[in-house]
Amino acid sequence: MTELLTALGIVFVVMGAFLLCAHYFGLPIVPALILSGVLSGTVVQEESLLEIAQWGIAFLVFVYGVNLEFDDIRTVVRDGETAAFVQFALVGGIGYGVGLVVGYDWLNAAYFAVAAGLSSTIVGTALVESEIRENLVHGRLATSIHFVQDLVAVLLILVLVAETFSLEAVGQRLAVGVGLLVLAFATSRYLFEYLLELAEGSQELLLISSVSILIGFLAISELLGVSIVVGAFAAGLSIKRDFTRNLGMLNGVQSIRDFFVALFFVAIGALVSLPTVEVAVTATVLVVLTLLIKPLVTTATLLRSGYETRTATLTSLTLDQVSEFALIIAIQALILGHLVRDLFDAIVLAAAITMITSSLTKRHEDRIYELLLDAGLDTFHGRKTDERSRTPADLSDHVIVVGFGRIGRQLVSQCEQLDREYLVIENDPARYGELQEDCANFVFGDAMDEYTWQKAQYRSARLIISTAETADLSERVLDLDTDAEILLRSTSAERARVLLERGAEYVLVPDLLAGEQLTHLVEAVLTGEIDREALRESHLESIDEFERAGYTALGTPKFDDVS
Amino acid sequence: MSEIALAADFAIIIVVAAAVGLVAKQTGQPTIIAYILTGLLLGPAVLGIITPGELTETMAELGLGFLLFLLGIKMRLDDIKEILRPIVNIAVLQTVLQTALAFGIAWILGFTFVETVIIALATVFGATPIIVKILTDKDEITAMPGKIDVGVLIVQDIYLVFVLALLTAGQLETATEVGVTVVTITILISLIGLFAIASSRFLLPRLFRRIADNKDVFFLVAISWAFLFILIAEEMNLSLEVGAFLAGMSIAQLPYSTELEDRIGPITDFFILVFFVSIGLQLEAADLFAYWREAIVASVVLMVGNFWIMFYLIDREGFSVETSFLGSLNMIQVSEFSLVVGGIAIAQGYIEEPILGYLSLMALLTMSVSVYIINYNHQIYERVQPVFSRWESEEKFDVELPGYRDHAVVIGYDEITRNVLPVLDREFDQLVVVDRKAAHREELERSGYDAIYGDFRHTEVRKAAGLTRASFVMSSSSELEVNKALLSELPEETTVFVEANWIDDARELYELGAHYVVLSTQLTAERAGEYLEYYFEEPETFKRLMRADIEEIREYPDEEFGVPALTLTKIDEDRTRDGGECQ
Repeated sequence: MTELLTALGIVFVVMGAFLLCAHYFGLPIVPALILSGVLSGTVVQEESLLEIAQWGIAFLVFVYGVNLEFDDIRTVVRDGETAAFVQFALVGGIGYGVGLVVGYDWLNAAYFAVAAGLSSTIVGTALVESEIRENLVHGRLATSIHFVQDLVAVLLILVLVAETFSLEAVGQRLAVGVGLLVLAFATSRYLFEYLLELAEGSQELLLISSVSILIGFLAISELLGVSIVVGAFAAGLSIKRDFTRNLGMLNGVQSIRDFFVALFFVAIGALVSLPTVEVAVTATVLVVLTLLIKPLVTTATLLRSGYETRTATLTSLTLDQVSEFALIIAIQALILGHLVRDLFDAIVLAAAITMITSSLTKRHEDRIYELLLDAGLDTFHGRKTDERSRTPADLSDHVIVVGFGRIGRQLVSQCEQLDREYLVIENDPARYGELQEDCANFVFGDAMDEYTWQKAQYRSARLIISTAETADLSERVLDLDTDAEILLRSTSAERARVLLERGAEYVLVPDLLAGEQLTHLVEAVLTGEIDREALRESHLESIDEFERAGYTALGTPKFDDVS
Repeated sequence: MSEIALAADFAIIIVVAAAVGLVAKQTGQPTIIAYILTGLLLGPAVLGIITPGELTETMAELGLGFLLFLLGIKMRLDDIKEILRPIVNIAVLQTVLQTALAFGIAWILGFTFVETVIIALATVFGATPIIVKILTDKDEITAMPGKIDVGVLIVQDIYLVFVLALLTAGQLETATEVGVTVVTITILISLIGLFAIASSRFLLPRLFRRIADNKDVFFLVAISWAFLFILIAEEMNLSLEVGAFLAGMSIAQLPYSTELEDRIGPITDFFILVFFVSIGLQLEAADLFAYWREAIVASVVLMVGNFWIMFYLIDREGFSVETSFLGSLNMIQVSEFSLVVGGIAIAQGYIEEPILGYLSLMALLTMSVSVYIINYNHQIYERVQPVFSRWESEEKFDVELPGYRDHAVVIGYDEITRNVLPVLDREFDQLVVVDRKAAHREELERSGYDAIYGDFRHTEVRKAAGLTRASFVMSSSSELEVNKALLSELPEETTVFVEANWIDDARELYELGAHYVVLSTQLTAERAGEYLEYYFEEPETFKRLMRADIEEIREYPDEEFGVPALTLTKIDEDRTRDGGECQ
């Protein structure tokens, strides 16, 4: 066995123990990897470590590029989530200022600013995964902001990680970046398509070919003097995602990535030396910036751009950690000799700390939100809600519909047909336009807030229907002091039972409805009662009918589903 | 630009191997041949542009470690339980007879004694990657000949691990030394083996149950487990292969092994490439062709000889003639392990490069020929059947093997699919549910259903469910791409029910051949509208419907469909699982 392999063995065994601990305590795994690197990484020679780290970076960014969907960019642009840019510019700006004050030169101050400004997608989106799944506004918003930040990070790396910084050199690098993108596009269009044919379905060959494409792009970027991150990113873009043809390959790339990325974080940890007082101070400043200033700035920015208080707060609490891209930039700058060693140590230290604290703030997000409300955030949201709502002064006997998704829309149109007074509660700015157009009455605010309900005049309502599945929200509705009958929605029969117990009049369980219908159909098809081709035809017909009835837009994701 | 360039030798190896692999694919040759040729091309034999650095060497070793780890993971004893006895008989005798044959040939061809011993030990027949790959592609891996081959290969692997341990141990000068080494190794391997068995019984089920729902922790801890064994093996002066293999075996018996196989597989493919290339890199052209006549003679004799050995042995166990014929025909190539053994023997100083050249040439020859033979095995049998019919008799028949056929597959266990399971269970002889949550798998087992733990996107998982042979498939994933992939893989006869979030998606899925697309949110929206109308217009009807629904909700059994597992990966998320109602 080579010495390196033995060293890797030790690294992995230690890593395993740390991962088990992190998992046991429900903490994110990245800090566990970094910590295990601090402890065991020294058994590996620094040169090998850096080499492995480079592969880790290459694969991390490569897979990021592979998974990037252009639809996502469109979504972000459409939502006009400029908040993401503003937020980064502000925090980065503050970070830059602080960096200069602390005494770094302009370049190191810039690295410092990047570390303060960027948030970790790996940690952040893992934390809000269930929110993303339930398509809550703050889950979606967090995803968008992370997404924008990652793109910004690649751009920053293109500019910041290089030998020289003359205007001409930067211009050249930007040109190279554009060139790589064009090349990626061409590769994906022609070369990769050709490879798919050549490989004749062999996922192993496709896997190795994709890695070869990655290597090709890395070589080009080295040759042209830009960071390999840019090359890896472009390479990722040149890989097509087509589950019918290269699903195995995509899974394979993911496995290889996970292997190298784990080692990358270990390498980061291993490069950290025992913190001096200076390092500790710098790290603390960075932690404060990340943990306090960034969420505050983010919340403020989001409030300004129209999100209500709760969404803004919860979103900013998913951004309060240092990004893995900051680590990538740091290690590359360190290799180039641009980054002061102390600053590198501080960034890594701050990253490990904030990744852990971020999972803690996430865990206590509701408490934090309440604290912020008490501290004066609530005055803000009352005004906001007033400004953006349309409510007649005296509603009574009305139907309150929470949520303006597909179900909400259907309910609204039903109310209109029945000539019933109604009011919609919604908090998604992306749906604000629709609300104004299609709804007679609405409150634009969070359904968790008492004030929103007051605006909705819930006491005099006859019926409250919540179309959201979130358990907290359902509980909140049930806690309302009202005589109105309450209809809720739930993901499972089990939760539905709890809600019924607590006083809900009725609970819709979509999966149960679907399951019931499905059981019936499966039985009918299997016993030959219905011909399977006939089933297809009849469902297609009923879909057509549904659309003709005026719900056309309901069938297209671009209309109301934005995650 | 960074001062630490990415290992250039490694990069070149990958790119060239990909190119050669793609060319080989056009002629139907497996990747392993392409990789060895890549090594020859880049090494001193042809271009001489690569001298592997430490990182590349490590990756080659890593590949070997992963290969054996993966092999261990695949050692699911349940799979061959029914035919375990005949298989052990066949494997043991085959190993003995074929080693003897290889020894005899090498001796006659004039190799020295030590060389002959190494050659005999190294010449193992039956290359797992080739056989498994081609038979899987032909959907014959679960047929009787395939089962026998795989079973024999598994038993053979245990023998190989032993040979590897023996070779690395050193001190094989005299008979006593060999004896002592054999005993020591046996004891040491048994010790680690006991540790593996004990942990497989007591520690691992609980450990992996805990982490199974977190993809990243699951994957990395499994690798840590392998490394733990590798380090222990190294500490005891055994080869890293032994450790990796036993680590894999201890995981194999857990329900999570299929999923893990899929996660480890690609890394193995990736690193083992480096290993096979490095075999080629070690050889000068002169080495490779030093014994080319001998290699050709030995290849021919061994291919023919091994066929008859296998045929005799399988036939002897009372399987049908066709099974014996096909099972033997599949096994006529030198295993990739002969190169592994050869590589180690060189490192230990037992043989010189020309002998590795001889082994490599033999591997290249037999593998490339056997690819065509396996691909046309049935046609060949039809031609020669008259000759082989003399061995046919009444008593010889194949036992029925369990395996899924004309069954129902349900992907994802949730509120939607759960209702349907009893119906499917009634209508089909076999029903299997695939789910990637450990708790779901357990609950399914408790309810008496077959369950496979794993991500349906993974090939091994789909294979384990016998997807392509199913006559009914239902997917509760609402991810369009996943369902499209599913539909493209299924034959037309299969009845397919899938889920979708959007009408447009549903249309697309219908176009691709789905028979029914469940639109859950759609259904709910319609139902909600309906109920609202009743609420105001026909309160009595609303009350009646509502009561019936609530009754059903109350009677529905308890189950915790908890929060989905955390993951680093975006590729695996079921995004927008529901229709997207906002808060």
